[in-house]
Amino acid sequence: MAETIKPFALWYHLNKIRWLVLLSVFLMLILLPFIHVYQTFVASFSYDLLEPGEKSLYDLMEMLTSPFTSDPANDLDSIKGTTWSGNFFGFQISDPLSVLGQIASGLTLYWPFIITALIPVVASLVFGRFFCGWICPATLLYELNTTLSLWLHRFGFKSGNRKFDRRLKYLVLAVGLALSAASGSVLISVIYPPAIIGRELYFGIALGGFGAGLVFFVITLLFDLLVARRGFCRYVCPGGALYSLLGRFRLFRIKRIVENCNDCAKCNAVCEFGLDPLHDDFGQECNNCAACIAVCPTDAMTFVIATQDVEFQGAGHLGKQYQRASNAGE
Amino acid sequence: MNRRNFLKDLIAGAVATSALKPALAEAVFSAQSNQRYLRPPGSLSEKEFESRCIRCGQCGEVCPNRCIEYFGLENGIDSLNTPYIVPRAKACILCMKCGDVCPTDAIKELDRNAEDILGHVRMGKARVNENLCLSYQGKTCGVCYRACPLADVAIKTQLLEQPVVLEACVGCGLCERSCIQIPQAIKIIPDHILNPVS
Repeated sequence: MAETIKPFALWYHLNKIRWLVLLSVFLMLILLPFIHVYQTFVASFSYDLLEPGEKSLYDLMEMLTSPFTSDPANDLDSIKGTTWSGNFFGFQISDPLSVLGQIASGLTLYWPFIITALIPVVASLVFGRFFCGWICPATLLYELNTTLSLWLHRFGFKSGNRKFDRRLKYLVLAVGLALSAASGSVLISVIYPPAIIGRELYFGIALGGFGAGLVFFVITLLFDLLVARRGFCRYVCPGGALYSLLGRFRLFRIKRIVENCNDCAKCNAVCEFGLDPLHDDFGQECNNCAACIAVCPTDAMTFVIATQDVEFQGAGHLGKQYQRASNAGE
Repeated sequence: MNRRNFLKDLIAGAVATSALKPALAEAVFSAQSNQRYLRPPGSLSEKEFESRCIRCGQCGEVCPNRCIEYFGLENGIDSLNTPYIVPRAKACILCMKCGDVCPTDAIKELDRNAEDILGHVRMGKARVNENLCLSYQGKTCGVCYRACPLADVAIKTQLLEQPVVLEACVGCGLCERSCIQIPQAIKIIPDHILNPVS
């Protein structure tokens, strides 16, 4: 038996950390509209005129924010926006897709805006499609949706598991940008779930009603549930396409340690993007979500720094197939 | 189809769409709207604004007056999720925070002083309906004049408080918001209706 190589201990826990990050991003998107509503109450000095419910919101928000600021109406402006484009202590960060969409719709380069996508672009070049797995607020709901379909499975519900061509989303990206250019407005934001989630949460909480985007998002949830598991992210999402392209030569990759692998294929089952870790086939679409590392019973998945995936390394050395083959060789 | 051909087709398609752009825009995305809405203060002209705005919603999120709302599909798909203000419902107080936060400068970044506001804000222009206005009917009112943040610059009153809107009016809509007559006797005519771009 070959000497076992253990992956770095933190990698096992990355999946849990990832869920924490996703959850905190999502809670932030819920909190920010409430903070905005609170700010408007403060700015209008209207505490005595508020409804009882609004008063309790005011008190709650005051309790949450008073340790950090004495001037909520102005100071709390320092964190605004969504994952589509946000303002973090005077520092603007935008989704690369928003920049690309704006360039397409305006057919001009507006540099002060383009540089706001610099950090996400560099991070994607290093970590690949990490946004999809680690930050995207829609991912949280989509993964819960997968969990729901597994749960419903116990009660005899058959969720759809069709396969389409993964390159479809690059076509969606191209067509979306072309339509943005043709209409002269950033239409691609209309079909991009993270942008929709951020927007609709704000509409629902602060403006008192969800918009058309919510309908679209629910349709994508149903599509995932009834037609293809994680189908929207795998086959349609234009942002996922862009991040995949950026992350093609990413530095951080997941790699199978063939000596530890027993060919159980749990990694393939758990992979939300339908990739094939068992056969060392990650490709540009892996979002480094580390679910396969967390699920692997024999510690055969780890992170490496490389610009290319390794070629197929053959059957796992703990698996029956490899043992049969090596016995036959003797 | 191999990748090279695919890319070629892609580029050809992009070129074709940009060549067809005006025609397509006319046919599919009927643009010019006659709805009476205002863009946030400091916005670019209507077409430019639509192509610059990325629908991030931050302008609404900083508005201390919560006057900025967002379009659904009622004004066409190309202004979906873009910000607008209906002055009679809630008018702009010209705090200029939306321009500070706008990442694409679809809403220009302006200081909150009379010079910047008078120079760059083009939301629209107030228009008085003298048949409805109480002051013109002999009942001195003058509420619009007192609501105006740029009183005597944007609006002045005559002997019996009859309002006269001046050239400098930026169209914030506070006069329309505060008009005590129903329906309002002073209305903002939005910039995109006053100066329709071809």
